[in-house]
Amino acid sequence: MGPSSTSHAGTGKLIPPFPPQTQLDGLLAGAGYKVRSSDLHLVAQRLESLESAMVSSPSHVVSHLASDTVHYNPADLVSWVDSLLSELTHSHHHPSNPSSSSSSSSTSPPSRPLPVDLDDLFSVPSDAINWVQSEMPLSQQPPPPPPPPQQLTVVTTMEEDSGIRLVHALMTCAELVQRGDLHLAGALVDEMTALLTSINTECGIGKVAGYFIDALSRRIVGAGSVPAPPHETEILYHHFYETSPYLKFAHFTANQAILEAFEGYDCVHVIDFSLMHGLQWPALIQALALRPGGPPLLRLTGIGPPSPDGRDTLREIGLGLAEVARSVNVRFAFRGVAASRLEDVKPWMLQVNPNEALAVNSIMQLHKLLGPDPTPIESVLSWIRGLNPKIVTLVEQEVNHNQTGFLDRFTEALYYYSTVFDSLEAACQIQPDKALAEMYLQMEICNIVCYEGAARVERHEPLAKWRDRFNRAGFRPLHLGSNAFKQASMLLMLFSTEGYSVEENEGCLRLGWHSRPLIAASAWQASPGPLPLPLPMGADDYWNDD
Amino acid sequence: MTRDKEEKRRQALCINDHVDILLEILKRLDGRSLCTAACVCRLWRALATADSVWEHLCLRRIASPGSSVRPVVSALGGHRRLYMLCVRHLLTRLGRDPGSSSAWDELQLSLSLFCVDYYERLGGRFGDTAATSSLMFLCKPVNV
Repeated sequence: MGPSSTSHAGTGKLIPPFPPQTQLDGLLAGAGYKVRSSDLHLVAQRLESLESAMVSSPSHVVSHLASDTVHYNPADLVSWVDSLLSELTHSHHHPSNPSSSSSSSSTSPPSRPLPVDLDDLFSVPSDAINWVQSEMPLSQQPPPPPPPPQQLTVVTTMEEDSGIRLVHALMTCAELVQRGDLHLAGALVDEMTALLTSINTECGIGKVAGYFIDALSRRIVGAGSVPAPPHETEILYHHFYETSPYLKFAHFTANQAILEAFEGYDCVHVIDFSLMHGLQWPALIQALALRPGGPPLLRLTGIGPPSPDGRDTLREIGLGLAEVARSVNVRFAFRGVAASRLEDVKPWMLQVNPNEALAVNSIMQLHKLLGPDPTPIESVLSWIRGLNPKIVTLVEQEVNHNQTGFLDRFTEALYYYSTVFDSLEAACQIQPDKALAEMYLQMEICNIVCYEGAARVERHEPLAKWRDRFNRAGFRPLHLGSNAFKQASMLLMLFSTEGYSVEENEGCLRLGWHSRPLIAASAWQASPGPLPLPLPMGADDYWNDD
Repeated sequence: MTRDKEEKRRQALCINDHVDILLEILKRLDGRSLCTAACVCRLWRALATADSVWEHLCLRRIASPGSSVRPVVSALGGHRRLYMLCVRHLLTRLGRDPGSSSAWDELQLSLSLFCVDYYERLGGRFGDTAATSSLMFLCKPVNV
């Protein structure tokens, strides 16, 4: 068909056909999308059917679509939606081959779900990307609630197929271990190690899987990891403190609660169940220095493992803290209690004065007392109650790693640590500090997977269970106020503006990553009235008369 | 002719002769400008690095800070260090959502982080690399 302009014979001039740009919809063109105005209704229809297809598809297929690099040029909106639709319907019928229909037109570098190099790949203007992101929320977040056991919330790379297979293999291996079929389990470990080579182990599922495979193989072989000497643990702890918000969140929240509980008292005493490097206390000392009415006399009793080779690390830490207190004019006294296990500590060692306001601080320590019968937790809680503290601050991991069944424990741990590693990526990219922080977590993973009995100390339990325990032991909850909440929110914003969240729940604060809670902080005070007698609770019925 | 010009030059205002005015101007600058000002000449450097100017900067948004803040900050390293290490990062990162936290809350958080930093600098027992690294999360670019 010749150009219609030849009818203007009078002028002898050929008016060129409309340039292609005018056929495009102006508004969408401003956002970077090339859609013909005549096609708009088609696009709308297709987007609707795409939405219903996405909703009804199994979520691992959808997250594959959304999390990976874009296969097709999103600027050409019509064909992009078409391709997504066809891929979804195809994958719906062939769920085992999610990647078979994808065009290999772009080989991406293995990337996180939010490829910042999207701009490089397709030069779509950035506000177009925002438009896409707001319309396709799945590209930002892992499939939300609640993932059935065969799926993982962390799905990142082109080799998503291998990733899913790896997770299935891990579950199968754990089940074999639970059944006692160690020979088969060992063979599976070899297979998984081979599978690891085909996926990216720098981030996402590859990295976490690597740690779990390692832990499983240690368990199968029977060589648990050699427990790291306390000095090394402290160094790893320090790096973990620096590179991630969890410990800072724990410290700052506990400090705020303690500060509020100490209002009006002139003699205060804090017992720290695990002093480590004492990083929690400078901030409290400074806050006490600035409190209206002036600082109280602060006593700090720090519990920690005995130091090797004759050094007195506890005393050194105490001296450092004393120096801080001296600089800001806070009267300060320190006392160190060396004990390799918390259950070895007896209340008389702590020298509590009845005239002072007492705070007991436990950051991720009490779960170590949930070991096999006779479990020491009840007796420890009762002597804490006997000290009549003004406040007990408790921060624990918000997950159940204390189930008796190995497979259940393993599954929980896999999801939990995947989320934790995911959040660590956002908080810190600086190597080698991040690697050291990860080693700290790896120690926890190893303990949960490799050990049983008294050697397994990482027996995390969720807040609901701690609530029960504390209520039975004669405590009642103390609500963490809005100041603690505000401070926690600010702190998390400093680490990363996306992903971290604080939520308040019945007076307790929980730090989460994309709404999956990771750490829970709570505070307790002694219930008035006589100390409760222990209820006969079967295995928990253990009363230590000390 | 030249004597007129000389007369005019003598009467022209030289800011360096009026240190009090200069100080008032410096007190109203932002951090970056203050650092730039410190590079101009020795007088400006002396004035712009004085802790009182940085104290103004840190406490600018606080209505009534109270008298106890200054000695604490001075003991922990001074207002200039407080600003450079903590306050400016909080301002940029928390500034996106101004309604969510008050300036006093932000200052409290800055002070807490500052005190941890002071404690770590005291230490040195943790090895060279660990010194003052607890605040390094503030220095890295935020991954939005």
